[in-house]
Amino acid sequence: MKNVRLGEIILFLALLAAGIAIARFGSGYQAQTLFQMAMMTLLAIGWNIISGFTGYVSFGQVAFFGLGAYVAAVSILNFDLPWYVAAAIAALGAGALALPLGMIMLRLNGIFFALGMFGLARILQLVANSLEVTGGPMGTTVPVVDSPQLTATVAVLAVAAGVLMSFFLSRSRLGLTLMATRDDAVAAEAAGVNTWKSKVAAFCISGCVAAVAGSLYVWNVGYLDPNSAFAGTVELQTVLMVLAGGIGTVWGPVVGGILISLLSTFLWARFPMEQQIILGVLIMFIAIVAPGGLLGEMVKRGWLKRPPIWGPPPAVTPLSGEGSLASEPGQTVLLTCNKLSVRFGGVRAVEDVDVEVRSGEMLAIIGPNGAGKSSLFNLISAFNRPTTGDVQLLGQSIIGRKRYQLARGGIARTFQTSRLFASLTVWETVLVAASSVCPRRADAVARTAQILDDVGLLQNWSDMPDVLPPGRQRLLEIARALALDPRVLLLDEAMAGMTTQEIARVHEALRAAIDRGVAVVAIEHVLPAIAPLAARVQVLDFGKTIAQGIPYDVLNNPIVIEAYMGAEGVSA
Amino acid sequence: MTTFVTLIILGLLWGGVYLLAAEGLNLIYGVMKVVNLAHGDFIVFGGLLAFSLYELDGISPLLSFPTTAIVLLAIGAAVQFGILERIGLDRGDAELRTLLATFGLSYVIANTSFLLWGSQFQSIPFLQGFVRAGPIAIPQALLVCSLLAFAVAILVHVWLNHTMLGKSVRAVAQSGLGAASCGLDIVRIRVLTFAIGSAMAGSAGALLISLIPFQTASGGELTVQAFTLIALGGLGNYAGAFLAAELLGLVEVMVQYYLGTNAASAVIYIVFISVLIFRPYGLLGRATRV
Repeated sequence: MKNVRLGEIILFLALLAAGIAIARFGSGYQAQTLFQMAMMTLLAIGWNIISGFTGYVSFGQVAFFGLGAYVAAVSILNFDLPWYVAAAIAALGAGALALPLGMIMLRLNGIFFALGMFGLARILQLVANSLEVTGGPMGTTVPVVDSPQLTATVAVLAVAAGVLMSFFLSRSRLGLTLMATRDDAVAAEAAGVNTWKSKVAAFCISGCVAAVAGSLYVWNVGYLDPNSAFAGTVELQTVLMVLAGGIGTVWGPVVGGILISLLSTFLWARFPMEQQIILGVLIMFIAIVAPGGLLGEMVKRGWLKRPPIWGPPPAVTPLSGEGSLASEPGQTVLLTCNKLSVRFGGVRAVEDVDVEVRSGEMLAIIGPNGAGKSSLFNLISAFNRPTTGDVQLLGQSIIGRKRYQLARGGIARTFQTSRLFASLTVWETVLVAASSVCPRRADAVARTAQILDDVGLLQNWSDMPDVLPPGRQRLLEIARALALDPRVLLLDEAMAGMTTQEIARVHEALRAAIDRGVAVVAIEHVLPAIAPLAARVQVLDFGKTIAQGIPYDVLNNPIVIEAYMGAEGVSA
Repeated sequence: MTTFVTLIILGLLWGGVYLLAAEGLNLIYGVMKVVNLAHGDFIVFGGLLAFSLYELDGISPLLSFPTTAIVLLAIGAAVQFGILERIGLDRGDAELRTLLATFGLSYVIANTSFLLWGSQFQSIPFLQGFVRAGPIAIPQALLVCSLLAFAVAILVHVWLNHTMLGKSVRAVAQSGLGAASCGLDIVRIRVLTFAIGSAMAGSAGALLISLIPFQTASGGELTVQAFTLIALGGLGNYAGAFLAAELLGLVEVMVQYYLGTNAASAVIYIVFISVLIFRPYGLLGRATRV
């Protein structure tokens, strides 16, 4: 791990030194070529933040490039500002505009977002066409007195800053939440991530970076018109660079930026007419053969590994009475559901269900398939809104609260089919939840290590979830929920598919949580899996509570037997 | 008043052409959940091909539009078989990869058109007269092209609903796995679907270039327009697409007349983004449960 880190630093310094050397001592042509390369790489870095780390592929990144170019041009032309002030204004302006735009555009996803951004770029291009200040469709010259050597040096430095920014972003709290959101937004919300805020932040950063590239472009070329500011070929090359290098990696845009720039410069010299066709074919080829790009392929072959975020885990100190809950078990009522109902069209999935759970106890909710158990959980954890009725946590209604607010505020859940983050390790998966409730990084790290140790996953900390056996995957989901330090823990068939050993492990962890005053509500098909822990059992059928009480009584209740076995079961 | 009635008729007629231009995309999306970003470039390619046939031998678009359809049929089949089937449409990252692949494809097609035809705006002069009914005058070309476009769209619709092969296509649209387990060769059906969708784009191009001039760079705008239309109609929903096409035709004609050409070129993007924000499931669509 140390060697990788060192290699990265050497690569960074070597590229930076080479770039500056060429910029300062190379010919005007070389400096100009280098500028193009650096500017495109900067755009690629920006695109990678929204499309790579966040997973929102955009075909309109050029919107912010053009916006930056226009803001810079207007600042230089009208207010006679030096280029660096113009660049700063462009970055700030784009960032400020990206905020409302992001709040609108990020309501879309997939193809809708991608094409929506394309449309946005076209709208801005039309606006630029009607701008008098900048010469409308004909464009305008922007006075430039600086040499290509200077612009190239600045562009190389800007790329260096961009790489550092990506690096720190990818290892920051924001980066962690972005990757979790990209992998599974629903699970990220359940882990306490405000996915909306993270996405909008990424969109703004990405827009700022593109705007800086645009302002440098104006400064370098000294001429600006709508067609070149919002050029499709810029978009094409940006996307191709990131894809070729490795989407969602820190170095991908740089590697791809260098390779594709060299290639397209060569193509431009030899096959100017066919250049875009060849680049287009290359995108298709990469999408088919190696969607992860060069770095993605190297990771797949095990030649490279992303260093763990905030890892490796520190040594776990024996429990020091940590745990924020000081309430006496069995005293406080934590969760109450009053006459909770939900209808989907004509189906009454849950009807007038009352639930009451006290601190330090476990309630098991059982019932045949389709009884409304998971629907009930979805109501409690704000994944669906009840048609009527109320849910209260510590006497306060939680209807209308956001999922991530509930996850941070005391209600944690797992899912019936496990939802893990495909590109995060075991360690990082739990860290997502821990860092959403611990403001200090050291606390989040300590808690993550502690919880992984509790459930017996610490030795797997650097594994990807897909290599874990199913039982351990579920264990990981429970660990992620426990990392939120919940007051109420909702387990949706958490123990299905576990070995006896794993179940014993989960029991141990749950018992510890219950002893600390956590209320556990567990849905199970197989009652023995939780019977040893459950104080009370509530049975649902057709959305209604048909029985409740201590496990032994409930299991011998004829109504319950009938619900499971049909009427003949009772007499038999 | 007469102007207004004329505009409404023009809008409804334009709707037919828009419908044909978008219906291929709708068909492909319905079956494969793939949005072909090169769809607009297919339309342009078909249109410019018809233009060349006209230049060469004075062939009228009435004759050339089946020809362009057949050429695009072949291109579409090759794209599906050579590119999209290689990606594997059932994998988790399929959406991202098909998006990127067709993004690349759109540049390939657009620049191939550029190599063949240059960047000039081209158009076929076709039936320059007017059909008059009292004070209302409708361009003959628009009337003919619109009716033809409706006819082709309806033909495809009938094929989908009333032939065995068409029904197999719909079966694959609803569940590929289910269709495969009934013994359908789903790869063959997907290739056929993409080919027919592309052929519709090709025929739409030939009709469109007889009505308005366009150039090789118009593909992106046409893709957005087609996508807006099917998104407004609810992706994969044919009745919705019809309604959306008529609505879009009316809006475009009205904006063009009352606000001018510049506004008309912006209106499609503004409608597009508003649709995505306010009616992401289309006019008739309903939000699906998560």
